[in-house]
Amino acid sequence: MITRDGVAGLVCLAGSLLLLWMSRGLPQPALVPIGPAYYPRLLLAVTAVLSAALLAFDLWRRERGPGPPAVNYRLVLLAFAIFTAYVFLLPALGYRVGTLLFVGVLQATLEPPRGARGWALVAAVALGTMLATYYVFEGYLNVLLPRGRLTGF
Amino acid sequence: MFGPLFGSLAEVLQPQYLTPLAIGTLAGLIGGALPGVTITMTIIIVLPFTFGLDPLAGLATMIGVYVGGESGGLVTASLLGIPGTPSAVATTFDGYPMSKKGEPGRAVWLGTWASLFGGLLGAVFLILMTVPLAKFALQFGPWEYFALFVFSLSMVAGLTEHSLLKGFLSGAIGLVITVIGTDPIMAIPRFTFGTEFLHAGFQFLPVLIGIFAFAQIMTDLEKMAGGRALDIIATPNLDVSHLAVVWEILRRPFLLLWSTVIGVWIGVLPAIGGSAANVMAYDQAKKFSKHPEKFGTGIPEGIIAAEASNNANVAGSLVTIMAFGIPGDAVTAVMLGALIIHGIQPGPLFMTQQPRIAYGIFAAYLLAHPVMMVLQWLLARVYLKIVRVPKSILIPNILVLCVVGAYALNNVMANVYALLLFGVLGYLLVKFGFPLAPLILGVILGDQIEVNLVRALMTDSDPWLFVTRPIAGAMLGLSVASVVLALWQHRRQYRRGVAAPAEGDTDF
Repeated sequence: MITRDGVAGLVCLAGSLLLLWMSRGLPQPALVPIGPAYYPRLLLAVTAVLSAALLAFDLWRRERGPGPPAVNYRLVLLAFAIFTAYVFLLPALGYRVGTLLFVGVLQATLEPPRGARGWALVAAVALGTMLATYYVFEGYLNVLLPRGRLTGF
Repeated sequence: MFGPLFGSLAEVLQPQYLTPLAIGTLAGLIGGALPGVTITMTIIIVLPFTFGLDPLAGLATMIGVYVGGESGGLVTASLLGIPGTPSAVATTFDGYPMSKKGEPGRAVWLGTWASLFGGLLGAVFLILMTVPLAKFALQFGPWEYFALFVFSLSMVAGLTEHSLLKGFLSGAIGLVITVIGTDPIMAIPRFTFGTEFLHAGFQFLPVLIGIFAFAQIMTDLEKMAGGRALDIIATPNLDVSHLAVVWEILRRPFLLLWSTVIGVWIGVLPAIGGSAANVMAYDQAKKFSKHPEKFGTGIPEGIIAAEASNNANVAGSLVTIMAFGIPGDAVTAVMLGALIIHGIQPGPLFMTQQPRIAYGIFAAYLLAHPVMMVLQWLLARVYLKIVRVPKSILIPNILVLCVVGAYALNNVMANVYALLLFGVLGYLLVKFGFPLAPLILGVILGDQIEVNLVRALMTDSDPWLFVTRPIAGAMLGLSVASVVLALWQHRRQYRRGVAAPAEGDTDF
């Protein structure tokens, strides 16, 4: 049975073969002997061999380890989802609104607030983070943070 | 040499440099003390704050983080038994038992003073060796550089703890990331899938931030229950006789010197950080000791060896980046990125072309140590309270600073998308048991490996020159030797059944 080593080997092998195939379309300059495809082909061939070796060792291995321990992926998936939404909404909402919402939502997800005091803490941290980072970066460090298409600031 | 050094010391003592150095050191002490927040993570958080600063002020901040982080880790290691950073792992072995025996002040201050002495002895090596090594590197042509980069990569991949094959594959993935986008020789786009997003390739800082920050944060979230902070022992009494502590260290000169040498040597080797130095120095101290059975019971030798080595390690890492342009570990990789943002390319010409910055780095490193001592003395109790901040507050703030750090590089969202993309990739690689150090080194060295390989072959198409030129041949020989040695060690451990495969991985 294939384990995660085998899956990793298979994915890397497929990726390197795909890129090797794509490298056929790269032009070969007439004036110089080495073109832009030379190094990637060499590298992708090595990557493909290593990936195939990882897959082969996994398939032929007789002893199996205990397998990865069970972990709770719920928070990981939620955090990734919230962060992805933040990144893609940032151009529309702008840094200030986006960050305020992101910090508040992620904080409430990681540790659900209890009562009005809990929610007040979430709001204070979100507002504090947004204001502190905005004024430090824009005011003192001359970093122009994203403005929102929808919000206008 | 000493004229420019004294000039730089006077310059860094000016408030516009000393203030960022002190702030960086404080950030390092706090980040180092927070279990689960590594020095790499701290420097990633601090990075965006340095963009608007003068290059030397930015570097002083980062050196402060580096030195402070190495010392901050010992506080939680000694008081909680949990290393604040991986480079304080061995400090827990004797620091925590000493605290439990009722001597928390002695444990913390033995570590802090040993950090100071180890760091300052490391500075001697940094100042004396950088110029000769840079002069040696000036003899390098593209063949030697190619061989040096291959050697670095093979050594890092070969040191992978669990699966050698995955170490090499991780390095290869890092190199593959760098071939996406415009080719560095002829500017022809490669593997862009027709998108504008991939046209310029990936800048390595968003890649590095994404991979390290997400791999760590998401792994923490797997174990998180309710976002609660650590329960710290009620404000410990850190009062101690400093003279007695200093004497405890200085009457063991061989231990201090040997631990420093180990730290510096591990630092010089590419991409191996303070954690290896810390454990190796502890192990050596135990082997040379007349009473090895007492190690682990709270004896000063264990703390001195562990802490002197991890601060000396910083000096070694700085030598490698300044003389060869190769990061000694992940922290110096971020510093390399920051230097490049400011238009400064570290390498053999760095000392002659940027003497102000180069000697400024020496000065900042030297001054960071007394600054660290003062901050530790004034604020140890204060930042022990900060360690109580729940992760549910810490994590959103870290992620916001990662976004700002990536965005502020060029003020474009593409870097933030790259951050997300490599965040996902970094987490997946960790879940599939891939080591991240070879991947990062691959991303950093990828362009340079390609440029030097192509330059060498365009200068002379004879590939045997890589082997017949003495320095290049020696380094490629060392690369092969490091791989063979790693294979032999893995086989030996496998036969002895010493190294239990991590989470069901192969141990090839």
